[in-house]
Parts: sequence; structure tokens; C-alpha cells
Amino acid sequence: MSAGRVKGAMVALAAVGMLRILWLHFVSEPRNEARRTPIDDRYAAVRALIPAGEAGYVSDLPAATRLGQDPATPGTRMYLQAQYVLAPVVLRYDDARAPLVIVNLHDPSRLPDILQQRGLELVAQVETGLAVARPR
Amino acid sequence: MSILALVLSGAGLVAAGMRDRASDGIERGFRAAMAIALGIGAWAASYAAWRMAFGTPGAAKDVLLAVAGAAALAAFRRRQPASPQAREPAPRWLYVVFAAACAVAAAAFIEHTVRFPDGGWDAWMIWNLRARFLARTADLRSAFSPAMAFLAHQDYPWLLPAAVAQAFSIFGESRIVPAAIAVIFGALAIAVVTLGVARAQGARWGLLGGLAVVTLPCFATFASNQQSDVPLAVYFAIAAGLMTSAKSRSELALAGFSAGLGMWTKNEGALYAACLGIAWIWRTRDLRGAVAFAVGTLPCAALLAWFKLGLAPPNDLTAFSTRATIVENALDWHRWAELLVLTARRVVYFQDFGLWVLAAMLLLWFLRKSPGSVLGTAVLLAVAAYGPIYALQPHRLDWIFRTSADRILTQLWPVAVLATMPALARTTART
Repeated sequence: MSAGRVKGAMVALAAVGMLRILWLHFVSEPRNEARRTPIDDRYAAVRALIPAGEAGYVSDLPAATRLGQDPATPGTRMYLQAQYVLAPVVLRYDDARAPLVIVNLHDPSRLPDILQQRGLELVAQVETGLAVARPR
Repeated sequence: MSILALVLSGAGLVAAGMRDRASDGIERGFRAAMAIALGIGAWAASYAAWRMAFGTPGAAKDVLLAVAGAAALAAFRRRQPASPQAREPAPRWLYVVFAAACAVAAAAFIEHTVRFPDGGWDAWMIWNLRARFLARTADLRSAFSPAMAFLAHQDYPWLLPAAVAQAFSIFGESRIVPAAIAVIFGALAIAVVTLGVARAQGARWGLLGGLAVVTLPCFATFASNQQSDVPLAVYFAIAAGLMTSAKSRSELALAGFSAGLGMWTKNEGALYAACLGIAWIWRTRDLRGAVAFAVGTLPCAALLAWFKLGLAPPNDLTAFSTRATIVENALDWHRWAELLVLTARRVVYFQDFGLWVLAAMLLLWFLRKSPGSVLGTAVLLAVAAYGPIYALQPHRLDWIFRTSADRILTQLWPVAVLATMPALARTTART
């Protein structure tokens, strides 16, 4: 191997890498990946209602909490995003008996059903599909 | 005071570890990059130790850190200058290519940060979640509460969250803070490799090494994801760079300290520190040097043990494993075959690696009869260790491989480049 060839090969590899980066970030992603809204936007108002401690969390979509469950589901994302915004409140997944319970719904029309099924009463509706409730 | 503590502690560590004075700009640049990285690490690790021992630190922690750094600088100020080295310069056009590559990576970083304002999935699920807990409450246990889902990975070490949490307390809780820290670590990764290769092989090889990092297609993405992979890569690369050029035990101890910061950044850091130590003994037979390296890792190893034994819930890989599942997975040849296929496919995964990893595999074959080096051995040991880790862990293999392989490559890639460039330089010098 000559130094010139190695240098040429590495610069060629770098050029391929640069083109790939440019394609992904400035052609492919703008076409195929919508810009995300900040996670805080949906959940921030709940923070004022539950500033610290623990709270229950219920949803109409399941989240992965055990081995073998798919961690990439929308239900898992919703639970973890709520936890991210509400920290330092610890959200107890599927606990409807906590003094305050976050109700986080993919289908907002299911709020009355979920409240009834889980024996909850509404404290505040914060966003579409997002409410704070307490045990009846 | 925090910035002063960070700068002085980093500079003090470098002064204590490197017993001669930098002889030229490349060496000064490498040491400056090291000082910033080690300073951030010391600042974050001391925060964790203080919180676990006494609660939320006030200004006293940073005053002590700054004083310790200043004392080290004063104690080691009378150093002999290193003898200047004649290094191969780089052509001007290569500087232009390198600058263009950095500009492309910077643009990609900005685009990705704007598109994903909370960083990658793991950033908000683990790292910045933990930073928010640390910044928002004095109750340390809630940050690691087992009541949260295991995907929050409460057992992970917290160098990055501690750095972000402290920066939140200085600058306010803004999304710019973790993004800015991600920029710093991304730039440090490029600087450590470029300057680390250049100080040994000259600017031409240094710039080529830097190109190999900055044009790895997934590098800019992972840097902007605000996760711990790039910081871990930085600490692993500093340790590796110091080990290849160490002229004294104090440099090996400094390498150990950096490897220890890697251990405090991510669980994989312990594996990489062990691989560096084993490779050192294997290739040099220098047990005293290995002891110096191990002594350097001790502060962060002790911090990690303190956290794991006192605060952290069990790791999901161990919590969900039983002796029966481990034996079953070990004897399942389908699982090993699947792992081989997944690995082979990943080598040619153009989307994330371009052609770099394929080229590295070809080069490995070409250089297979070259004498083994400490860094090459360490990287190969780490790669080999991932075989049983992947095969024996309890999750679905395709899922965990898909979600982790690129991050592991990002952690290892800078050290793989540091390991490869001297061999390339030697080979081309002979022809």
C-alpha cells in the first residue's frame, strides 16, 4: 500500500460519508420525518397540579414494563414522555389507587370509559386526552 | 465558580499526569481537549459523590474542586519541556477537506437538534430524565426509584445527567443546555482523535483519522441525540490515546482516570476499562503500568460501586435473567447464528456507517499478520465480549441488537481509528 493510495481511499470514504450525511439530514429526513414538537408542550400544565411525590398513571394504550413486551409502542412512548416532563414526580404505571392519577389517552373520547372502569373521578382536564383524576 | 472548577480541575489533572511541558501546538491542543473532557468528568463525578454523601452541593463543592485543581497546577508547574518532535505536515487541501467535513457534521447536528428538540429516544427516556430529577429535587432516591418502568434504566451511571443537571442550575432548565453539552462532547471526540493521532504520526494522519470519525454518517446524529455514547467514546479515546504514548506511570494513571470516567458514563465503560487493562498486560507485560492504570480508575470505580450497591436497582439484563435462561440462551445455536448474521449485515449498514466499517474489516484482514497493539487488542476484546453479552442477555436478540449495535460502534469507533492509524502509517512507510 502506498501512502498516496491510502490517503486517496480515506478521502473517498470521507466523501461518501459526507454525501450520506447530507442526503439523510437535508433530503430524506425533511421529506419523511416530521419535526417533533417539544415533549413539554403537552404535559407541562400537569406539573403545576402534581409538583412532587408519586402519582398513578393509567392509559388506553399499554406500556412495556416487563420482559418480552415491545418497548417501541406508542403506549410506552406516552408513559415515558409523561415521566420525562413530570419528574421529579414518580409515575406508578397502571396504579389507579394513588391519591392523584394521570390519565393519558391516545383516544380522547375514551376518557369517561376509563374513568368509570378504573373507579376514578376527574380533577382537571389539562389537554385533549390528558387529565388528572383521583380515586372515587 | 462552576466553570472555574471545571477548567482548573481538568488542567490540574493533566498537569499532574503529564510530567513534561507540551512542546508544540498539536500537543497543547491535545492536552487542552483532555483538560476540558476530564474537567467536565471530574465536575460531574464530584457532584455525584457529594450528593450521595451529603445531599445537594452548594458552592463549597466547586470551591474545593477549583482549589484542588489550582494546587495541582502549582505543584506540577516546573516541568521540563518535552523534546520537540519532527512531525509529518499535512497538505493544505487536506485541511480544507477536514474543515468541510466538520462543517457538514455541524450542519447535520443543528438540523437533527431542530428536528428532534428533546434529543434521541434515550436522551429523554434516560439521560435528561435523570438530569431533571437531579435538578428538580433534593430527594436522590426518587431519581432511581424502581417504581418507574425499567426502560428508564435507573441503574445507569450518571456522569452526563450530573453535568446537565449542574448546567441547568447555572443557566436554567432549557433544551439548549443538553444540546450545548452534546456539542462539546462531539467536538471533543473529533479533537481527541485528530490531535491524538497527529501527536504521534503527524498532521496528515491526524486529519485522516479525524475524517474517519467526523464523516461516519451516524456520528453527527448520535452526537446530537444527547445520549451518553459520544461522551463514553471521548473518555475511552483519551484513555487509549494516553496509553499508546505513555512515558510515565503518571500518564497511565491519568489514562486510568479517564477510563474510570467512562465507567461512570455508561455501564459499557467498565468493559472498555477492563479491555484496556487486559490488553496492556497482554501486549506489554508491564504489570506496574497496569497497576498505575488500575489505580487511576479507582475514584470512579469506587463511585460506581457506591452507587450500584447503595442506590441503583438491579440492571434489567440481570434482573430478567435466571440461570436457566442463561444456559438456555448459551446452548441455543440459532441465537448464535442469528447474532452472526445480524453482525455481518451491520458491517455493510450503509445508512449509519457509510463504507467505513466495511473498509475497516478489509484493512483488518490486510493487516492480520502485523504485530498486535494494545489498542487493537483492546478493541477486539471488547467486540469479542459483546458476543456472549448479546447471546446470553434475556431480551429478544433482533430488538436489542437493532437498538444498540450502532451506539456500541459509535463508542468504539474513535479508539478503533486510534488503533488503526499507526499501523497504516507504518505499513505505508515501508512501501
